[in-house]
Amino acid sequence: MSEALPVLGYAAVLGVLAPRLVLRSAWPHRAPRLAVAVWHALAAAFTLSVALAAYHLATPTEHLHASFVGFLHSCGLGLDRGVDLGLGSGQPDPGTAGRLAGALPAAVVGAVALSIGGHALRAWRVRARHRAVLDMVGRRSAALGAVVVAHGTPVAYCLPGRRARVVVSEGTLELLSPAQVDAVLEHERAHVAGRHHLPQAAADGFAAVFRALPLARHVRRQTALLLEMAADDRALRRHPGGVLATAMYEMAACRAPGGAFAVGGGTVPVRLRRVLGPRRPAHPVLRGAVAAVALAVPLVPLLVACPPAPV
Amino acid sequence: MRRLGDLEAEIMDRLWKWDRPATVREVVDDINKDRELAYTTVMTVANILYQKGWLLRTKQGRAWLYTPVRSREAYSAALMEDALGASEDRSAALAHFVEGMTDDEVAALRKALRDAGRRGDSRGPG
Repeated sequence: MSEALPVLGYAAVLGVLAPRLVLRSAWPHRAPRLAVAVWHALAAAFTLSVALAAYHLATPTEHLHASFVGFLHSCGLGLDRGVDLGLGSGQPDPGTAGRLAGALPAAVVGAVALSIGGHALRAWRVRARHRAVLDMVGRRSAALGAVVVAHGTPVAYCLPGRRARVVVSEGTLELLSPAQVDAVLEHERAHVAGRHHLPQAAADGFAAVFRALPLARHVRRQTALLLEMAADDRALRRHPGGVLATAMYEMAACRAPGGAFAVGGGTVPVRLRRVLGPRRPAHPVLRGAVAAVALAVPLVPLLVACPPAPV
Repeated sequence: MRRLGDLEAEIMDRLWKWDRPATVREVVDDINKDRELAYTTVMTVANILYQKGWLLRTKQGRAWLYTPVRSREAYSAALMEDALGASEDRSAALAHFVEGMTDDEVAALRKALRDAGRRGDSRGPG
């Protein structure tokens, strides 16, 4: 129990305070891929902390009554009943406690892993179904390196993963200049090349398990935004900001009237201002420091919960 | 596997273009203008397309007449609707260039673009 409290406290810091700190910083938008890594490190550290706290709550200590199992026992919820009904002792069976101590953290980590796998699988299925129709009706353009769909609505997206597809509608080709189209396609290719669907599936999976947690909500939205920024950066290597920004504006403005798909609060406004603004990549020293923190954050709960044995 | 999918698209492509029911023989003859392909191969793939629900067929004499279930335009429209679907799960599966915005947001962007244009593309606050 005594070890569980600091770990729980650390989880609370990660789950509630750390997101505010990152959100208030300026560097994430200047180093979006590093920022995605930081958000994922926070999520991993949080999961680990909760798992370790569960372990310590279930582990029998000298003060058995204070432990989770002791607590259950005193409530008459002894999990050991089936095992040692005949004994009638006041102490829970250490074997049961040991099993619970192993099962609880495994359940926490397992729930997150299953949720991430589930999200990845569901997205994969949606893409496979979509791709089957796309390959039938779309026209492959070697010049664009994309599949063109005969439809007037300006749309551009990609199906990442193996057998990836970059897709544009004819409406996009009519609306945008060749340079703008190229910038948009470069942005989409960056998603495919960077395998951006994987960190997004991880963020979505984590968020689904810890729904009410501020960290969960932010990891999900920030990962989406930062991955868009990373793709914008790739497009900016070959195209001026003005080209990408006007392409964004034209496509967004075209879809806004009617509002059928207007969701609001999306990533475009902040991306557009960023693309138009001065390019200021984060300083290498700052990047190094942030990367070190990102690596250290998941290690802290291990050190707190499992301190080196006193000599 | 990949080639099979390509052939499926080729067959659908012709049937959509012709816009009338056609036999496997007609499709094979048209493909054979470009390259050799066995009648049985096309027949097999046409049968697959029928089973997948892409084609309808009616018997004419001893041969099947195949027709697309829906027009290419109808499939394209459904595809775009699927792509534009506002569901959050969907947007994670298909990485969009832009998502839908409200009219207010669009107006704000127009202003940001205009301001940037006035400032000049390369200059900006340090």
